[in-house]
Amino acid sequence: MLDISFAKSVLPQSGAVVLLVAEGETATADMVAALDSATGGAIARAFAAAEFTGKAGSTCVILAPGAGLSRVVAVGLGTHDAITHRTAEAAGGTAAAALMRETQATIAAGGLSCEMAAAVAMGACLKAYRFDRYRTTEKAEDKPRLTRLTVLAADIAVAKSAWAPLKATVDGVFLSRDLVSEPPNVLTPAEMADRCKALESLGLKVEVFGPKEMTKLGFGALMGVAAGSACEPRMVVMSWHGASGSTSKGKKSGKTQPIAFVGKGVTFDTGGISIKPAGGMEDMKWDMAGAGTVVGLMAALAGRKAKVDVVGLVGLVENMPSGTAMRPGDVVTSYSGQTIEVLNTDAEGRLVLADVLYYCQQRFDPKFMIDLATLTGAMIVTLGHEYAGYFSNNDALAAQLYAAGDETGEKLWRMPLADVYDKQLKSEIADMKNITGRPGSAITAAQFIQRFVNGKTWAHLDIAGMAWSSKDTATIPKGATAYGVRLLDRLVSAHYES
Amino acid sequence: MLKFRIGSSAPRATALAVPVLQGAPITEEWRAAAEAGGFTGKPETACEILTGERPVLLMGVGPHATEAAYRKAGATAVAHLPKTRRLALDARTLLPVLGAAFMQGAALRGWRPAHLRSIPDPEASALAAIDLLSEKPGIEAAWQAAHAAWRGAQFARDLVTEPSNTLTPKTFVERLELLEKAGVQVSVLKRRELAREGLGALLAVGRGSEHPPRLVILRLESAMEAAPVVFVGKGITFDTGGICVKPANRMWEMRADMAGAAACAGAMLALALRGSPAPVVAILALAENALGAESYRPSDVLTSFSGKTIEVIDTDAEGRLVLADALAWAIARHKPQAIIDLATLTGSIVTALGHHMAGLFTNNAALAADVAAAGEAVGELVWRMPIGDTHREDVASDIADLRNCKPGRMQPDACQAAAFLREFVDDTPWVHLDIAAMDTAEDATDQQAIGATGFGVRLLDRLIAQRFEDPHRA
Repeated sequence: MLDISFAKSVLPQSGAVVLLVAEGETATADMVAALDSATGGAIARAFAAAEFTGKAGSTCVILAPGAGLSRVVAVGLGTHDAITHRTAEAAGGTAAAALMRETQATIAAGGLSCEMAAAVAMGACLKAYRFDRYRTTEKAEDKPRLTRLTVLAADIAVAKSAWAPLKATVDGVFLSRDLVSEPPNVLTPAEMADRCKALESLGLKVEVFGPKEMTKLGFGALMGVAAGSACEPRMVVMSWHGASGSTSKGKKSGKTQPIAFVGKGVTFDTGGISIKPAGGMEDMKWDMAGAGTVVGLMAALAGRKAKVDVVGLVGLVENMPSGTAMRPGDVVTSYSGQTIEVLNTDAEGRLVLADVLYYCQQRFDPKFMIDLATLTGAMIVTLGHEYAGYFSNNDALAAQLYAAGDETGEKLWRMPLADVYDKQLKSEIADMKNITGRPGSAITAAQFIQRFVNGKTWAHLDIAGMAWSSKDTATIPKGATAYGVRLLDRLVSAHYES
Repeated sequence: MLKFRIGSSAPRATALAVPVLQGAPITEEWRAAAEAGGFTGKPETACEILTGERPVLLMGVGPHATEAAYRKAGATAVAHLPKTRRLALDARTLLPVLGAAFMQGAALRGWRPAHLRSIPDPEASALAAIDLLSEKPGIEAAWQAAHAAWRGAQFARDLVTEPSNTLTPKTFVERLELLEKAGVQVSVLKRRELAREGLGALLAVGRGSEHPPRLVILRLESAMEAAPVVFVGKGITFDTGGICVKPANRMWEMRADMAGAAACAGAMLALALRGSPAPVVAILALAENALGAESYRPSDVLTSFSGKTIEVIDTDAEGRLVLADALAWAIARHKPQAIIDLATLTGSIVTALGHHMAGLFTNNAALAADVAAAGEAVGELVWRMPIGDTHREDVASDIADLRNCKPGRMQPDACQAAAFLREFVDDTPWVHLDIAAMDTAEDATDQQAIGATGFGVRLLDRLIAQRFEDPHRA
């Protein structure tokens, strides 16, 4: 993570400078006039030559403008009245992308509020993420060099306190991106559980369940998925008691109802006996992104000491074909007692969620449960890579989620639940089957999951199209997106903190 | 044709269907049988009682007395009594609108096309007449409206059923000319007029076929001083996919690729029959997407009526091309207050919503809400879908104004197609209904006859009734 600091608005004497410029304010924005006169009018000439007007997302890079500076990067903010946190984040990200050859830079954001200055820092950090644990031969000159950013702000103390919770969120996002980026030979269920366990340093309580415990509990659906793999499954339960006070000691008297997040964590999904085609199968390392988001979210909430009682549960398995694997045609008995005819072993995510969700509601009686899963290809054909599809049995929770998505840019689109879809799950020999035909199959998957929430307030986010990005955006480099961490962090801060 | 009677009684031996609200007491005469059969009025349940002087069927309505519930009860009655020639429906206690829905549901379920057969159909519905038992004031008027909507739906279903060797753009027009008897004005643009008007996208799609394309304009006389509401329908009489030919498996289903146009025509008939005062125009883009020496190709660039140029990536994404011209032409020539298009447009919407709801896309939330409410009322459900920035980016072309789709698998093609269409409607309030999953029922159920559904006819009719017939709101 970039080293972020805040400083008073003083013209830097060396290095790189970023100017954030609202539309039509190319002469009046913070630092522009001072810098222009220090460089003998170089800034104004460059803006004119590049026709830079401050349009949102536009940039103007000026190399060695004089005054001892190596580079000036102007980033457009768009019209002043329309600047939001999202605009500020995007500008920070765009600036970071233009600064990768520099080791440190100063961002002049004095025209923005201190909260906005913190958002700029967040955007820059989010964009500067890189997963390079496995690059051993990259030449030093090819590596990004940027390590430190100084953001100029009117009041340093205010900017710092606005930045502290955002930094925790960025830490959570990075943890989630790391988990999703890790290859499946490294990130097995046991390894992922170990990394969850390490979050105890943040004050989270972390319990890990192995195959013995889950078999004893009767997790027939999750254990069915795990049966084919040499890597043992895990379920991890992470608890944060930010509202009821005690963080690591036992429960206080008086029961509090936590909120709950549940993630699908299939560390690699071959499809099992119903094996997937080879083309694109490598993408299935990120079939644990729902769990990756829940882990990152829990780290973010604990990191910023959120005043909320929250549990995060992840079901971690590998779906493999082998002599011990679950077969199409098998009937498994879920923890809820309901039986499931497995007609396709590649519809495994819902089996994992079935057991973990039922366990979650039974043990914690949460206010609500939200599950995240890279669940269906149908969702990608439905919405593409701009929105995750979500389903809910509660309109109020659905509205809160939609708003949080809008505010964080992690967009959601609501999809229907209805009895007519639920009926399609009818099995001839068991309580239900685990697949239906392709038509409406993201919806029927949600209906399946709904059968395991026991009437609790619940939402299901199908993030299959959102977990991994093949394109760079202003604040997300190609690769793992950590979609959902920021969205749910916002949901919590907007509605569930005391 | 099915005969309908409304009166206080039916002939003695006529089978009687009695709707029962969940939890309501059951008439003494049938109570024992209902108890023995475990019948309590739950929705989608029925109880046959054959011991009296006439066969009696109790149908569960469920807990709420809604139009939808009684429409379903009527359908259930017909499904359970397939050999009954004459059926009486007990609507004596029902509000007129519910009684009318009851009979409409029965009539819709009783449909089975016969004219293509030369030997007797063992599955044929015997139903020839329905008696609605009701003496409620207003029942005649309520039935007149429900009957008109049913006639419209039947008209659309017959069109959708007609195979593509007999239903060409030309013979489609001949069928539409029959609507003149009901008071619908019919005019047609043929190939030469289409060329003169510059509908280059529609012409390109129709170019490979022996049967040239047509643009049909259906219009209702209206005394209301308001801009018209325009329906636009995709009418591909057969869709081979063109040069980007479809797989052979299930290609026969593509005879129904004109269901959007059929629904618009059926809605015009319904509006005419019930004397709707609203100014309504339907524009149907009719073409056959065939393989031929003249067929348009992937990579062709077309100039549409709007002037916008379109790079053809896939000739099987032809529906959006004919709609692009029809929408832009309709807006230029008719200046509508609202425009609603219906099309069997994408496989993507089938994957998204299955066979229970159509996808709704819009540039106008208020119109979308009105359309959704109309669909809810008549049991033709729609679900709102988004047009996102990325969907619009996906139909940007490297060499022309637009391309007709994005290449590659797993595309959200329904959203992308809607983004494409939006480029041709400017600011006119617009709703696009992707009905690809809704035109045909693959199996018969209690609620639904097998085959063409007429989806959209009753929705459009109800939309006009609820939203566009009040002169003070126009």
